[in-house]
Amino acid sequence: MKLTTLAIRNIKRNFQKYIMHFFSLSFSVFTAYSFLALMQNEYVITAFTYSTRYRAMLKGFGIIIMVFVIFFLISSNKSFIRARKKEISTYALFGMTNRNIGKLLFLETMIVGFAALIIGIGLGIFFSKLVAMILLDISLASFTGDIAFTIDPKAIYLTIIIFISIFGVMGLSGLQVINKFQLVDLFKADKVSEGKSGGSKISLIISLMLIGTGYYLASLDDPLTVVGVSIPVLILVILGTYLFFWGGLPEVLSFIKRNKSSYYRGINLISTSAFSHRMRSIGSTMATIAILSAVATTAIATGFTLYKNIEKNTYDIIGYDMYFYGGQEKILDDIYRAFEKHHTKIIEEYTTQRYITSPQMEKIVVDDSRYIYDETDYFRVYSQSVYNKLVSLSKSDLKPVHINSNEAMYVSPYIFEELDEAVVGQLLTFSDQTIKITSTLRSGIVSFGALRTLVLNDNDFERLLQSGDILGVNKNGIPYDKVTIFNYENPLKSRALDNELTRILSGNVGSYRTAYNHYNESLETFGLICFIGFFMSMVFILMTASLLYFKQVMAAEEERHHYRMLRKIGMDSQVEKRVIVKRLLPVFLIPLLIGITHSIFAMKAADTIVFSNMIPLENSYIIVLAFSAVMYSAYALVYGIFYFITKGQYSRIVK
Amino acid sequence: MQILKVENISKIYGGKKSTNKYVALKNISFEVDKGEFVGVMGASGSGKTTLLNILGSIDKPTTGRYIMDGKDIATLNKDELAKHRINNIGFIFQDYNLLDTMTLKENIILPLALKGHKVNIIEEKLFKITKDLGITKILDKYPYEVSGGEQQRAAACRALITSPRIILADEPTGNLDSKSGKDLLELLTFINKEYKATILMVTHDVFAASYCQRIMFIRDGEIYNQLYAGDNKKQFFDSIIDVMSVLGGEGR
Ligand SMILES: Nc1ncnc2c1ncn2[C@@H]1O[C@H](COP(=O)(O)OP(=O)(O)O)[C@@H](O)[C@H]1O
Ligand SMILES: [Mg+2]
Repeated sequence: MKLTTLAIRNIKRNFQKYIMHFFSLSFSVFTAYSFLALMQNEYVITAFTYSTRYRAMLKGFGIIIMVFVIFFLISSNKSFIRARKKEISTYALFGMTNRNIGKLLFLETMIVGFAALIIGIGLGIFFSKLVAMILLDISLASFTGDIAFTIDPKAIYLTIIIFISIFGVMGLSGLQVINKFQLVDLFKADKVSEGKSGGSKISLIISLMLIGTGYYLASLDDPLTVVGVSIPVLILVILGTYLFFWGGLPEVLSFIKRNKSSYYRGINLISTSAFSHRMRSIGSTMATIAILSAVATTAIATGFTLYKNIEKNTYDIIGYDMYFYGGQEKILDDIYRAFEKHHTKIIEEYTTQRYITSPQMEKIVVDDSRYIYDETDYFRVYSQSVYNKLVSLSKSDLKPVHINSNEAMYVSPYIFEELDEAVVGQLLTFSDQTIKITSTLRSGIVSFGALRTLVLNDNDFERLLQSGDILGVNKNGIPYDKVTIFNYENPLKSRALDNELTRILSGNVGSYRTAYNHYNESLETFGLICFIGFFMSMVFILMTASLLYFKQVMAAEEERHHYRMLRKIGMDSQVEKRVIVKRLLPVFLIPLLIGITHSIFAMKAADTIVFSNMIPLENSYIIVLAFSAVMYSAYALVYGIFYFITKGQYSRIVK
Repeated sequence: MQILKVENISKIYGGKKSTNKYVALKNISFEVDKGEFVGVMGASGSGKTTLLNILGSIDKPTTGRYIMDGKDIATLNKDELAKHRINNIGFIFQDYNLLDTMTLKENIILPLALKGHKVNIIEEKLFKITKDLGITKILDKYPYEVSGGEQQRAAACRALITSPRIILADEPTGNLDSKSGKDLLELLTFINKEYKATILMVTHDVFAASYCQRIMFIRDGEIYNQLYAGDNKKQFFDSIIDVMSVLGGEGR
């Protein structure tokens, strides 16, 4: 068992290097276990997995995470082995066969892996309750309960199986790295392996053009086009990013080098040359990280924005905590009783008559389809004062309006630019009066079931009601249903009250809606998306950041003698500190900035496709960016922390 | 004019409490004048590198003082030492110690860049020195793309470009073949004559030492003997061999 002893001794001796390796392994195990345990958790199963849609979503997410974990582990394992090149070559020099070296490394991986499995699963068990509670809490508005602490044997068993196979793959890929080593590498050290990174103007220009085209397509205005080009955009941007790191960035660096008056400052000279020397080996990693950062920040920003807008969106659509029309006489008493029973105070209550009108007007055709008016169509119609009352009671952002006489405002949930242009200026001909539509509003709140709504000046409304142009009764002389709205305490949390209200209302009124219902349906879907976004981002952030840490610490081992030499020729400690900052900062900053820039454009596309419908404002993109900025800052913060950890470790090594 | 004065320098490795103390230098005193080309010889392990590192302020003596430019160097703090090194000392090492992330040109201008000189001054000095030392053609190559002799010449340029008070060379020919070694020695002689540079060169190679004007022999951390070059180079060479055979160093 000589190999085992050697393996254990190696681990002890390389403890500094191993600790990070160990951390990333444990974290991967933790991630996998947490996810698997989540899938088995009975609360989560009852909350989500009854629906095939949610189950598919969770499964797909699980696969993405696992693929990423494997990529991460293999790539960090490879750079770990490379960092020990000298040691390994020494074994070879002393006549150890590649097979035996492979066995040795495999043993080391297994010993460390086994420890990581125990720690990772242990942490997973410890935090499993927390993870499940976070998911349920952000996905279910009414979730207040406590869930039991569980240890899940199936998840443990699956995690162990998965990771033992991954460790096997890691071992094999390590063997492949070893086989590529040549004995001469030992003597040449790292001098030839990296070399000049070949940048060229052409690749810089092409990469910028690819990315630029992607950005341009992503920021087109038409939602359908944006959906259509999404795959080409992805391909353009990913290709562009890799090309930028392979050929573009080296060119930028050589451009910086050509500016002698700044390049010939000691600090710039040392850090820029060291960074550009590393470009080739770290370029692909940086590109991958930039893209993963883009994915993660986009996922998290989308989730966060959706999540934060669910409540607002609910009121933009429903307007009130509850409304119904028809059947007031029958059920109002029951409703009051229900509120009393659940100790809920009614904050607002308002009932109003609904009217319709069918003036003569031109047909308006946009895009070959009829949009506004036909003989059989009608408008719901409000006087300015009733409209303003409804608006002031609503929980949306709508503002009261002032309508001049002989003018009207057109309100509909479906208004877009062309329609807006076509509608404004239209004349409505009533029996002895014409009224001109002078403005439009996109909203569904006051329509209560109608597609088209008009708001008129109070006097006009009164006159038209007198003249019979506005009707409060249908052909058979039966009055239209009145509408009643309610706002009350704690509308989005009280499940019991909502159940009772729903029971009273359903079947007894013309129609009804409650904010609770809409909110909770949205929350279930978006909460899950949001949770997945958070979880995935957390994994991506931590793993990419630790990959960078890893690469830099390995590089530090190699760059140590540079610093020793620089100190000999007279670099003082101030300069040394600044050199280290300039050497490391770009490694973290460039992928982060590129990732965030990608994400800003991805959010633009997401805004066009999703948010512009959710957020009824001129400039929904600004709102989206504001929410995204919160998540970008969080991302940058984690990277910042990792940067400082890396800097500390790097400085310690080169000292 | 005196450039360097060493008084009773001792170096003990292994700290005060350590049981296996090792005395690398014992009470060494000597002086170096401006424009001298001094050799330090001795067998392997006799303390030559230790002495050179102390003179270069990379290492500190355990006791004793050495004075350069009227200043007791041992009293300077870390950053003052760095400043002292960059202003007053040029190093040439056995393994060249060029940064392989930089081209030869960048390596050579590094000390000036660290000192914060202007581009035009840097380029002017670079041009003159690389022309004199004959490496203008390979300036844009990386160290691993050129021969050892060329790397060492670049290292010499780097040591020289700041016009230091003294150039310290630790077995500069140690890794070179005899032709490149000879070239480098001639180069050092040229630097010594043309640039009036003061050079202190450590070597255990008799041929290399014969280029010096004065040789100090070190044995077991002490100065054992000194030799001055006369007019007769052959005679100087022979007397070096004689001393070295007593010291046990191998002659070439
Ligand atoms: N850092 C150190 N710690 C302990 N002993 C050292 C150290 N550096 C050198 N020595 C010892 O001091 C003696 C002189 O070394 P050195 O000056 O390198 O010799 P030379 O250059 O003449 O071959 C050697 O015996 C060496 O083992
Ligand atoms: Mg030596």
